Amino acid sequence: MGLFESSEKFEEVLAGFFRRVGETPEVAQKLLASKLVIRFSYTDPDVVIVVDCSGDEIDVRTGDTETKAQVNMSMSADIAHKFWFGKVNLMAALTRKQMVAKGPIPKILKLLPAIKPTYAMYPKYLDENGYGEYNIH
Amino acid sequence: MIPEFFEFYNPTKVVYSPGIASDFKAELNLLGASKYFIVSDIQVTGVFLDVPPNSEVKAVNACAEQVKTSGAEGLIAVGGGSVIDTAKAANILICEGGDLVEDHSGAQTLTKPLNPLVAIPTTAGTGSEVTMAAVIYDEENSVKMAFTDKFLLPDLAVLDPEMTASMPPRLTASTAMDAMTHAVEAYVGLQWSPVSDALASGAIELIFRNIVKATQDGSDMEARGSLLVASAMAGIAFSHSMVGCVHGMAHAAGGICQVPHGIANGILLPHGLEYNFEEITEKLARLAPVMGEEVSGLSPDDRAKKAIESIRRLTRKLNEMGALPLRLRDVGVPEERLPEIAEAAVMDGTSFYNPREVVAEEILVHLKNAY
Repeated sequence: MGLFESSEKFEEVLAGFFRRVGETPEVAQKLLASKLVIRFSYTDPDVVIVVDCSGDEIDVRTGDTETKAQVNMSMSADIAHKFWFGKVNLMAALTRKQMVAKGPIPKILKLLPAIKPTYAMYPKYLDENGYGEYNIH
Repeated sequence: MIPEFFEFYNPTKVVYSPGIASDFKAELNLLGASKYFIVSDIQVTGVFLDVPPNSEVKAVNACAEQVKTSGAEGLIAVGGGSVIDTAKAANILICEGGDLVEDHSGAQTLTKPLNPLVAIPTTAGTGSEVTMAAVIYDEENSVKMAFTDKFLLPDLAVLDPEMTASMPPRLTASTAMDAMTHAVEAYVGLQWSPVSDALASGAIELIFRNIVKATQDGSDMEARGSLLVASAMAGIAFSHSMVGCVHGMAHAAGGICQVPHGIANGILLPHGLEYNFEEITEKLARLAPVMGEEVSGLSPDDRAKKAIESIRRLTRKLNEMGALPLRLRDVGVPEERLPEIAEAAVMDGTSFYNPREVVAEEILVHLKNAY
């Protein structure tokens, strides 16, 4: 069993964080410039979140399995959680199949410098929103 | 110094010998398939020949259909990188089905081993015979799609220098400079490992010793063989350690002004190293003696400069032989398009692995130097 006890809890934590990121101009502007629609499919527990950067603002949709995404990222919830702490080397995770990325990988790689500030935001977000028990920082 | 994490995986069996492409039955027998389909761009009968210079989805689909109809259980790719990549991608469709771009583009998307694939390179540059990647142009969306998966690694690479004997001097020089760029960028890149370093530096040494000989005398099988082996070593190295801004600029120059990839790399390699100089001084310094430079008593900074000068001296020599252009202006790049090339280089996926952040205004300075 992973760190998160239920799909509902993990969805609440991560979708909330993605929305916080979407409201952070320095990161959001760069993500919106990519115009990418990315679907994250998590396992253990199972959650699907679409981050849609194709419009004027970032739209985070939970449970969206219909929208056509250019990039589909699959990983366990625990790996995703560690990633947002900045504790996962993306290339190592892809190499070890801890993450599977379908679509134009270079576009994803280009976003990594843009999301760097979010690694510091995540633990703060967890503490501020009553999710301190998940803080591994 | 050792990186915190690295993985090395290369199960491709490599056999080398002049003439071995005419008889490698013993190796084929070990792969478990009884019927093979040949994918190539050279004229023989009963094979899929319609591989374009840059492989496209349409060609891959057509190739996969023909292979399925034939009942073949394995593929033999005979050609340059485009041919080998076409065979790799066709093998995906044959074994996994589905839509090539929608279902399989990306990293580690395959679910099972593919049919046996044998690669016989006829150029000594791309290293595709030993890499886990394929690049296919998606005509529908006008974009090059990358496929990266351990199951794309060929089972057998047959390195026969006689298969490269018909390459004219210009192609010999530019493909070898492509291999050189793979090796140098893998060595100085962020994803380096001690294993890829050993292969990269070995490849650099072989290329320095043999590129002029093979360009001067295409019948020199020892020189051709050395370049072929170096290309495979560089391929294994960069398949693990990736490449950086030289490739980023070369991809951009290729996409915008159709500069052939090996030529672009040959022109841009010293300029890309100068862009990264502060971040790679120590590693570049270690390459100077590998390139044949006398470095005793020199500071790391001066050794690193010697390495770049060594590459410049080599490309000047190839230029004097009429085998390699030295400037972007000589290969049809208009000066006013350099800013566009700089912007595209920044957006290229390789910039992620570059030791220094790739910034358009700053890379433009070096593109202008290369102009």
